[in-house]
Amino acid sequence: MSSIALSAGENAKTIRSARRLDRRRMLFWVVPPVAWFTVFMLIPYAMLLYTSLGRVEDMRFIPGLSLRNFIQVFTVDPYLSVIIKSARIGLMTAVLSAIVAYPLSFFLAFHVRSSRLKFLIYLLVIVPWWASYLVKAYAWKTILGSGGILNALLQKAGLTDEPVRIFLYNEFSVVVTLTYIFTPFAVLSIYAQLERIPTSLIEAARNLGAGGWMIFWRIIAPISVPGVVAGGIITFSLAFGDFVAPVLVGGPDSVMISNIVINLLGVAFDWPMAAAIGLVIITLGLLLISASGWLEEKTQIRF
Amino acid sequence: MRAFGNRPLIITMAMCVLAFLYLPILVMMLFSFNDSQYTGLPFNGFTLDWYRQVFADTRLLKSIWNSIYVAGGVVMLSVLFGLPAAIALDRYEFPGKGLFRRIVMLPIVLPGIITGIALLGFYLVIHMRLSLYTIMLGQGTALMCITITEVFARLQQLGKSQMEAAVNLGANEWEVFRHVILPAVRSALAGAMLIAFSISFDEIAVTFLLTGRENTLPMTLWSLLRREVTPEVNAVATLVVLMSVILIVVGMYASRGQAATPREN
Repeated sequence: MSSIALSAGENAKTIRSARRLDRRRMLFWVVPPVAWFTVFMLIPYAMLLYTSLGRVEDMRFIPGLSLRNFIQVFTVDPYLSVIIKSARIGLMTAVLSAIVAYPLSFFLAFHVRSSRLKFLIYLLVIVPWWASYLVKAYAWKTILGSGGILNALLQKAGLTDEPVRIFLYNEFSVVVTLTYIFTPFAVLSIYAQLERIPTSLIEAARNLGAGGWMIFWRIIAPISVPGVVAGGIITFSLAFGDFVAPVLVGGPDSVMISNIVINLLGVAFDWPMAAAIGLVIITLGLLLISASGWLEEKTQIRF
Repeated sequence: MRAFGNRPLIITMAMCVLAFLYLPILVMMLFSFNDSQYTGLPFNGFTLDWYRQVFADTRLLKSIWNSIYVAGGVVMLSVLFGLPAAIALDRYEFPGKGLFRRIVMLPIVLPGIITGIALLGFYLVIHMRLSLYTIMLGQGTALMCITITEVFARLQQLGKSQMEAAVNLGANEWEVFRHVILPAVRSALAGAMLIAFSISFDEIAVTFLLTGRENTLPMTLWSLLRREVTPEVNAVATLVVLMSVILIVVGMYASRGQAATPREN
């Protein structure tokens, strides 16, 4: 009896010490990254909140506890309208790059048989994604501009006598440029999802008499939704926050929210206003992350 | 048979997309050899002058070196803190885990400018002088999510059984890390390091606000593009593209057969 009781006590002691050990191990992995993100994200964001509640007078920051800046984001032009416009440009970019990307992803996932060729095309998709972002935006300037290649071709073909100016310096050119820049990303995201579809699923459908379109609309399209959504959310976010394309290929009316924030800091020295806009966007970003997690869970199909 | 649909049509469409992806890059490369002050038609003749100019431009060369330096630091930071973060998220339940996960992912959906103003305000308050290191810290924070998500996904595939077996056989934490975790995540980690390096090398939004007197390559290109537009920019860009191609091909071949490459069905 006593020996059993003793061993039970010892057992409890080992369990306790094991727990303590496990706790120490946990702290070893958990503390450094948590500390990092606390110092470089949470504290800066908290300071952003503090700044946003104050105001600026004669280029000096005056602390306060006023929601004035947040109210201005939603009531004073151009803040809200520019946020909406940036979201519209982001959405158009996300939709267009998904449309452009889909055929290539489809080809890669279903029509390339040799793994060598598949690897090669996969590389061909990645290379433009890694080419300098600025230069890609700038390349579109040389293509769409009035002295650009598109106009030269149009003139040579006799379709127009003088350079067409509607291609550049407007929302159209911003969306085209951003779509171009983010298409490789959409390809990779959609392809990753299509590649997961088992061949047996397609064979079964064919054996049951389904034609190509039917297989596509009833099987492939629904399964590819999470890939399209995952790619779309990132494409949307990147395009929404872009400030390069509006400056290089955009016109006076295509200022986006990041340009406004830069101007508030660099020209107006209005830190509190910039901070308030930043916090509104951070909140939208957190909502977007939660929404994307939820969407992915809803649309993902397990095989 | 995996293939279905109208094959010629699908191949044509796919080739059009590839053409769309490559045309602007080829145009830019072509004009880097054009003997003209101005990027555009007509094509006046072949020259290597713009490349000569690039290699004579010390400011440009310095900024390329700065970019490599910053990207190297960013990769180091994202391994040092991203790897533990992935392990922590995979293995442990700790208070605030949900929030931590969201915070980590936030820079993906957030405009770089916002990450930039938050950090710039922080630096101003703690009186940190802007330099290449402030850029490194900013980009490191923003790009850490790449390492975390890649490694985390691999760890989830690995499951817990191997680690538990190792612990039961008496392995200490270091041995588990060295012999179970590291071999399993090596290729994912290498891929993430490569991606982080290339994004950092090209990063402009976070960098824009955090840059001090010394500039990275995208910042130098940005000022070049905004002031004078010379084919010199095309030449630098061509060199950068070639460099990234070499980097990707080497990296992809190194991690071939792993999850980073297309799976065979």
